[in-house]
Amino acid sequence: MEDLKAPSIDYAAVAPILILFGAACLGVVVEAFVPRRARHAVQLTLALLATLAGLVVVITQASTRVTTAVGALAIDGPAVFLQGAILVLALVSLLLMGERKLEPGGAFVPQAAITVGSEADERQAARAPGLTEVYPISLFAIAGMLLFVAANDLLTMFIALEVFSLPLYLLCALARRRRLLSQEAALKYFLLGSYASAFFLFGVALVYGFVGAVDLASIHTAAAESDRDPLLLYAGLALLSIGLLFKTAAVPFHVWTPDVYQGAPTPVTAFMAACTKVAAFGALLRVLYVGFNGLSWDFTPILGVVAVLTMIIGAVLAVTQTDIKRLLAYSSIANAGYLLVGVLASGERGLASTMFYLVAYGFSVLAAFAVVTLVRDADGEAGHLSRWAGLGRRSPLIAGLFTFILLAFAGIPLTSGFISKFAVFAAAMEGGQTWLVIAGVISSIVLAFPYLRVVVMMWLSDPSDATPTVSVPGVLTTAALAIGVAMTLLLGVAPSLLLDLTTGAAEFVQ
Amino acid sequence: MTGADVLLLALGAVAVGSGALVVLTDHLVRAGLYLVVCLGAVAGLYLVLAAELVAWVQVLIYVGAVVVLLLFAVMLTRAPIGRSEDLNRPAWPAAIIGGGAGVGLAVLLADAYRWVEVAQGPPGTAELIGEAVFRTWVLPFEVLSILLLSALVGAIVVSRGQR
Repeated sequence: MEDLKAPSIDYAAVAPILILFGAACLGVVVEAFVPRRARHAVQLTLALLATLAGLVVVITQASTRVTTAVGALAIDGPAVFLQGAILVLALVSLLLMGERKLEPGGAFVPQAAITVGSEADERQAARAPGLTEVYPISLFAIAGMLLFVAANDLLTMFIALEVFSLPLYLLCALARRRRLLSQEAALKYFLLGSYASAFFLFGVALVYGFVGAVDLASIHTAAAESDRDPLLLYAGLALLSIGLLFKTAAVPFHVWTPDVYQGAPTPVTAFMAACTKVAAFGALLRVLYVGFNGLSWDFTPILGVVAVLTMIIGAVLAVTQTDIKRLLAYSSIANAGYLLVGVLASGERGLASTMFYLVAYGFSVLAAFAVVTLVRDADGEAGHLSRWAGLGRRSPLIAGLFTFILLAFAGIPLTSGFISKFAVFAAAMEGGQTWLVIAGVISSIVLAFPYLRVVVMMWLSDPSDATPTVSVPGVLTTAALAIGVAMTLLLGVAPSLLLDLTTGAAEFVQ
Repeated sequence: MTGADVLLLALGAVAVGSGALVVLTDHLVRAGLYLVVCLGAVAGLYLVLAAELVAWVQVLIYVGAVVVLLLFAVMLTRAPIGRSEDLNRPAWPAAIIGGGAGVGLAVLLADAYRWVEVAQGPPGTAELIGEAVFRTWVLPFEVLSILLLSALVGAIVVSRGQR
């Protein structure tokens, strides 16, 4: 029997991932040993500290460019940048999750296993403090995302995909209000998500059949040098892409998005809209730019069609929505289309602009969902758009902030939305993908309509009896909202701060 | 064509045929029994490929445990057993998707490998796998066992609710 050799691991480079996983395990222990009364404060502090610590470590090694753990992980420019982005956005999402002022006990259900509508459920709905397990669960999801964007072989990528997906399925089911809707959303997400994971795994199997290995560098070499018929490789790439595009919510793999975004607790929706997008596009970028960049002539037309469909269908369906969370869900689908344009622009410009877009969009969408948590009445959040009528008269500040966010989504200059769309489209023009830019501009015009309709409704209609009050936000939501709005403005006024960073980071190692 | 090839083809035909019968029959219990044949044929495929342990695990877990579980579920939920009219749905969408996926995969693999001879690895005997699991990978194996055990206990605790 040969001696076991421990693989050499660059612990400094993978420290952020380890910190998050460690804190998540610690959170589970806290759940068992800390008295119920103190748990929320302890868990929230632990989660925030861990995320902050991870972020600090990521920043200290901004210049790391290595592959480690026998080539399974690549800590390179895009990985470090995207890890930083995920951690910052997750920090803001955690602030939203920690809010307990808006609703007694927070946005999460106290005992998820209690049957909906039973006596025990009515008792717990009244005041019982919400689950504190959400923090360790979120930490596991964040750690999985950090692993996902750094995964340098397809199996590690699959494991990371599952590690961040499973906690998300759980989080979706934990809403305090409208629990059946929330559980339905979680089940839909889980079933469709496992279907997509199966596609990904089947893709890995086919690629392995062609290449004989699963690491991206070998795939790159085999795609360039093998003289066998590449049909198998194409089929593998197609299945891999289906698995990844599902997570990015691209058409035609988007059907879960509106239901899940609507049913999930709003802080979790914000977390998914911001962080999952970053993680999924990070992995898609790595697979396409490192493993399959030799095939870009073959996949660009097909993924281009997906991008066009995503932008157009997302924008058109957003027009017909009457629920604010569903509207934001369709807007998130359309934004996945713009991000795909950036991915297909290829080259450093495409990579840099996509990464910029991910961060800019993440901050805006977090702020948008933060506002959604504030507009509420006795029955919880007032999601229906008709009830937002006249909000500008009732609470001009919140309505003003929301207007600003919506204008950013619509891509008005001086907001980050304009800069990020411009960067993505410019990169696509340079990459010769004019048709994508045309479709993008047309869909942006369509998409501006639902945003402006909400703005008009908030400011120009008279408030009715049904118009809910805007709750006074607690410190945590205020902080999250302020960060989101400030970054949307800052990245619109002084985009070079982040653009320089993304351009500097836009190179993969193999 | 060697004897192994003939066996592979025959077992493959049995697996595909009984698999089709699982979805075509409208007797739930018969579907379960066809599933036994299908999974058994797959176990046979593993045996022909000299993956001894995988074959027996397939028999134990899938043919044994999973199908028994299925049949018990049928027994407990739909006591009068017989023809289930609600299972008699138009078959063509399933036929198109299933047939399409099957034929597509077959074409794909046939095209990729043509007549390339793939060398067979060493036979997957219980001894080899046991050595790998209990010598080389014993630590992850044990850690996983403990994790599964604690998940099991946790599930029981959670589902019992609060007293």
